[in-house]
Amino acid sequence: MVLALRVGSVVGFLLLWEWAARVPISFNFPTPWATLTALVAQVRSGALPAATLISLQSLLLGFGAALAVGIPLGLVMGVVRAVGGVARVYLELLIALPTAALIPLVILSFGINIVSSAVIVFIFSVPFVAMNAYGGVRDVSPRLVEMARAFEASWPQLFVRIVLPGALPMILAGIRYGLSRAFVGLIIAELLLSPFGLGRLIMTSRSMFEHDRMFASVLWTLLLAGLALAALARAERRLLRWRA
Amino acid sequence: MSAPVAIAIEGVAKAFGPVQALVDVDVRVRAGEFLSLIGPSGCGKTTLLKIIAGLTRADRGRVTVGDRLVTGPGPECSVVFQDFALLPWGTVQNNVEFGLLLRGVAAAERATRAHEAIVKVGLTGFEHAYPAQLSGGMQQRVGLARALAVNPRVLLMDEPFASIDEQTRRVFQDDLLSLWSQERKTVLLVTHSMEEAIYLSDRVVVLSPRPGRVHQVLDVPLPRPRESAEVRATAQFARLVDDLWKVLRKLQ
Repeated sequence: MVLALRVGSVVGFLLLWEWAARVPISFNFPTPWATLTALVAQVRSGALPAATLISLQSLLLGFGAALAVGIPLGLVMGVVRAVGGVARVYLELLIALPTAALIPLVILSFGINIVSSAVIVFIFSVPFVAMNAYGGVRDVSPRLVEMARAFEASWPQLFVRIVLPGALPMILAGIRYGLSRAFVGLIIAELLLSPFGLGRLIMTSRSMFEHDRMFASVLWTLLLAGLALAALARAERRLLRWRA
Repeated sequence: MSAPVAIAIEGVAKAFGPVQALVDVDVRVRAGEFLSLIGPSGCGKTTLLKIIAGLTRADRGRVTVGDRLVTGPGPECSVVFQDFALLPWGTVQNNVEFGLLLRGVAAAERATRAHEAIVKVGLTGFEHAYPAQLSGGMQQRVGLARALAVNPRVLLMDEPFASIDEQTRRVFQDDLLSLWSQERKTVLLVTHSMEEAIYLSDRVVVLSPRPGRVHQVLDVPLPRPRESAEVRATAQFARLVDDLWKVLRKLQ
């Protein structure tokens, strides 16, 4: 049933796309078939894989840093109330702010290179990773903490045996959400920075009026993000099997 | 009356902000005794249990368990919680081993002792189930097994049957009584059920509310073993429950 709906929605979307391209909304709007052909061609020519490799570097660098900083930060925020009270203000500001507005500042500070786009990926994803870890710790059942204390749990034991596993579901959700934000940050950064990666591919195709190619790159990026998120969701289900 | 004292509560007082929860509480629980704390809500019975467990500090007075002055949780006591407090991410085996794990018992011995406790509470075959897959009664059996696995001298039970349906509760109470008669542990049970207090206990301590203090102590001279005998149907049982009700009614 769900599968049928999913397949149906994809078919429906493609039909709508085909129709929109034929109407036509604009002569520059490619049909799904043209886009798909361009996609295959660009994968074959090596243009997409090469750009992907470059983009993945910024993504891994930026998102890796976001995990390495965000998760411990969120945990400390949850455990030490004072830190949580202060840090959450900044993180909430980062979430509420149109983060793209920070990009010129980042480029000015780091120059036009991979570090810049990694920093932007980091800024896009870290607040969500940290805030979720923070929420996860705050969600830990005080009854379980009390139970462990009754068995004379030491402080490190409480943290490892109760707080971490208790916060895990929200930490994982934060990682997944953070990754989707990381992709958004990556593409925005590359569109504005332009000299490399998938963003450049999109911009070059656009400037040369190769809209089928441009759409192909967008579609490719969507596929990448979708696959990564699906893999994470799968890992999450495995780790949280107990929530039957 | 010559039995050694397992828990001595002397002049304990506790306030939460402006609310005086407990005042001048003196109770002596004998070793091997089954004692119930009962009283209207707000009488501080759970607070008293937590003070004995070392989870809450008393403002005044002192509690000794065995010969240890309670300043925090200790190895003599195990607590059975009303809402079970099981690790949702752990199997029955993991949960029963949890207290042993925290106390640094080696894996092999943990497994053996957990297995013994699981057999005692009748959960054989459910070792690999998660709490979410068990009924309330079975979850509380896990809670009891976890408490027994560390082999405490004192069991502190905080309304352990409150979230369990009536039929399951009666079977569980009988099982608890046979376990208790085999293990001779000191049991302190907090309850709001008069029948439960009379059926299980040697003595029932009635606490009065706001502030909580010991109102009266009732002896329960019902013969043992009570489980599987038709104690509940006797006139003596009914009269004891009624006596307790008369005491409690005045406190409402």
